[in-house]
Amino acid sequence: MRALAILIVILAILIGVLPQFFNCQYDGKGLVLADGRQVPMKCYWTARASLAVAILLLALGLLLAFSRQQETRRALAFLGAIAGILVILLPTWLIGVCQHPGASCNLVMKPALILMGILVVVASVAGLVLSSRRPEPTA
Amino acid sequence: MIKIEAATKTYALGRGVEIAATRDVDLEVARGEFLVITGRSGAGKTTLLNLISGLTRPTSGRVLWNGMDLWALDDAHRSALRNRQLGFVFQFPSLLPSFTVLENVVLPTAFGSNRRDPNVPGQAAALLQRVGMAGRRNAYPRQLSAGQQQRVVIARALINCPEVLLADEPTGNLDAETEREIIELFGELQATGELTALMVTHAPHLVPQASRVVEMAGGVLRAGG
Amino acid sequence: MSPLRLVWKNIAGSAFRSWAVFLCALVVGGLLFSTVLLVRGAEDSLRLVQQRLGADVVVVPEGTGDRVETALLMGQPTKVWMPRQNLDRIGGVAGVAIASPQLYLASLANAPCCTAEMFVMAFDPQTDFTVTPWLNRHLGHNLGLAEAIGGSDVFVPYGEDKIRIYGSEIDLVGSLERTGTGLDTALFLTFDTAYAVADGSYTKAVRPLEIPPDSISAVLVQVEPNVDPRVVALQIAHDVPGVTAIPGSGLFQAFHTQAGLLSRIMAALLGTVSLLSLLLVGLTFSMAVNERRQEIGVLRALGATRRAVLHSLLVEALMLALGGGATGVLLAALVLYLFRNLIVASLMMPFRIPSVPSLLALAAGGLAVALADVALAVLLPALRASNLDPATAMRE
Repeated sequence: MRALAILIVILAILIGVLPQFFNCQYDGKGLVLADGRQVPMKCYWTARASLAVAILLLALGLLLAFSRQQETRRALAFLGAIAGILVILLPTWLIGVCQHPGASCNLVMKPALILMGILVVVASVAGLVLSSRRPEPTA
Repeated sequence: MIKIEAATKTYALGRGVEIAATRDVDLEVARGEFLVITGRSGAGKTTLLNLISGLTRPTSGRVLWNGMDLWALDDAHRSALRNRQLGFVFQFPSLLPSFTVLENVVLPTAFGSNRRDPNVPGQAAALLQRVGMAGRRNAYPRQLSAGQQQRVVIARALINCPEVLLADEPTGNLDAETEREIIELFGELQATGELTALMVTHAPHLVPQASRVVEMAGGVLRAGG
Repeated sequence: MSPLRLVWKNIAGSAFRSWAVFLCALVVGGLLFSTVLLVRGAEDSLRLVQQRLGADVVVVPEGTGDRVETALLMGQPTKVWMPRQNLDRIGGVAGVAIASPQLYLASLANAPCCTAEMFVMAFDPQTDFTVTPWLNRHLGHNLGLAEAIGGSDVFVPYGEDKIRIYGSEIDLVGSLERTGTGLDTALFLTFDTAYAVADGSYTKAVRPLEIPPDSISAVLVQVEPNVDPRVVALQIAHDVPGVTAIPGSGLFQAFHTQAGLLSRIMAALLGTVSLLSLLLVGLTFSMAVNERRQEIGVLRALGATRRAVLHSLLVEALMLALGGGATGVLLAALVLYLFRNLIVASLMMPFRIPSVPSLLALAAGGLAVALADVALAVLLPALRASNLDPATAMRE
């Protein structure tokens, strides 16, 4: 269980950090409005939102690592799975990324978030299964 | 029932040096007998039990079970004989650590034809009851004391209703009181008359139920002890 | 108590050993799968592009063969020109059935549709055999003025309904299927549309689209039945000065070579990883067998045959290998699918996910190699364990 929690912590850090460096705003590209102002594109906001989910996931992972109660672990694992689904939905449906297939948000951020989201879900489900087992009888 | 004829077991230590654990041992064990084997450390007691059970091959001599040469059988038949007719109680902790108490007791059935017998769990439960471990069926060996583990080992040894029970210093690691309890249990089991028991022990005086005591010294078998 | 339960308990009982075997199988299975998939995907892509072009011979200005191939495969626009009169000369060469001209252009960088220059390919609807068959199949008619079809990755910007090129609005009427090459980011329109855009660009665009008069970029040739394209290519090169004639089979040779090189590198890597994996699993299992000597002796005493011990150990290893190999293949498939565009961009090589039957065959192959690797590694320790004298094994 601790190994799963550590994996979730590592994934949380990656989910928070990676999108900050692979979005069009970081590449110096923004949306130019009619009045000449440049505003960030969707992928920037996806990166911001990922950071938020990552912080939540980090806290969750740390709690899972140190928690001893079966019920608490089950609840945390369930929440972890939900967070993982959110990570997948952020670049695909909730906010999205830029349309251009050659943009770094499309090439790196989106597939990376989807992959890491899947891994978080798998780790959380594994944690859910482990925490649902009958505990060993005490001596 | 069991007959050993001039059994010698030597081990090669390398550079042409050999050591004889047993020398020309002759022994007959009758059905229903409770035989105690004593002797100092290194006298060849364990080797004698290993020869009787077919766990090691004699360098010379024969081991006969109901007139049949044990080493004329192939590995499959010899293993089947051990599985159905022998029960073992070892000195060292021999329960598998990843298995519960109940799983350890039914373990021998994994290698026999009664693997899928639906009565096996019930028989295991009854045996655990008999050895006083019914309440710990789901515990793991690491959660048991040495004495409790030995009780489970005894139950395991009996799951296939063997004809012969072999016990090699079954109380070697136990305190005096637990030692008495285990040997009492042995006595109760053997008293039914259906079981032939061979026990290696350093304290034959604790086994008043023994029908015969023999002594191993320097690999040679002597009557009395 | 079934033997399989015994195996499962042994797996669960030793985390380190089980994870070591699992991870080795994961790496071997995943690596083999991704290696073969990458190379196969590249080859598939190249084949699809060659089919898509449909040309038996591609004629380009002399010395520009590499640039044109890169444009077609990697979507990097290129401007190459030759006199339009070459078209008639090429058409007159014996064995040529159809000669269709093409113009290769580039959109402006930072056009709303794109973050970089887009490859624009203009074709002659009267003679074209590259795009026109698709148009007839899917639209039922050829492209009109100010209409275009795009590769799979060409899109109309959000909130708009047309693509802008050099200030002119173009209707995107269809999208071709993915090839995993530069054709996926290319725009296809007719010569008439291209010239109309060029004319309009002088007033509408920040920079005009200049098409040299009486010039074309390439001629795609289909030869008559039973005629060898290589012979026709040689004849064209002889009869028409200043051109390079590339037979269809010789197209993208550099990329085929690159795919071959990648294949060899990956094979060497795979060989090394498999060997290391074999050693690690063999060592781990040997250590495990040593640790479990007494336990194996007990099992033999309880009635397990030599064969049962051998089977138990092999099944244990193979179950872990199956789990690890399958996980490795799945992970590799997921990563390659998600990052397929990055692979094309960073390896500068076309790549396309093969069909499902091919994928399943590759997965089975990856799994088989992982299983074989592990089986080979544990065979010796397992044989030694099964042949242990039980009495000796139980001695501390």
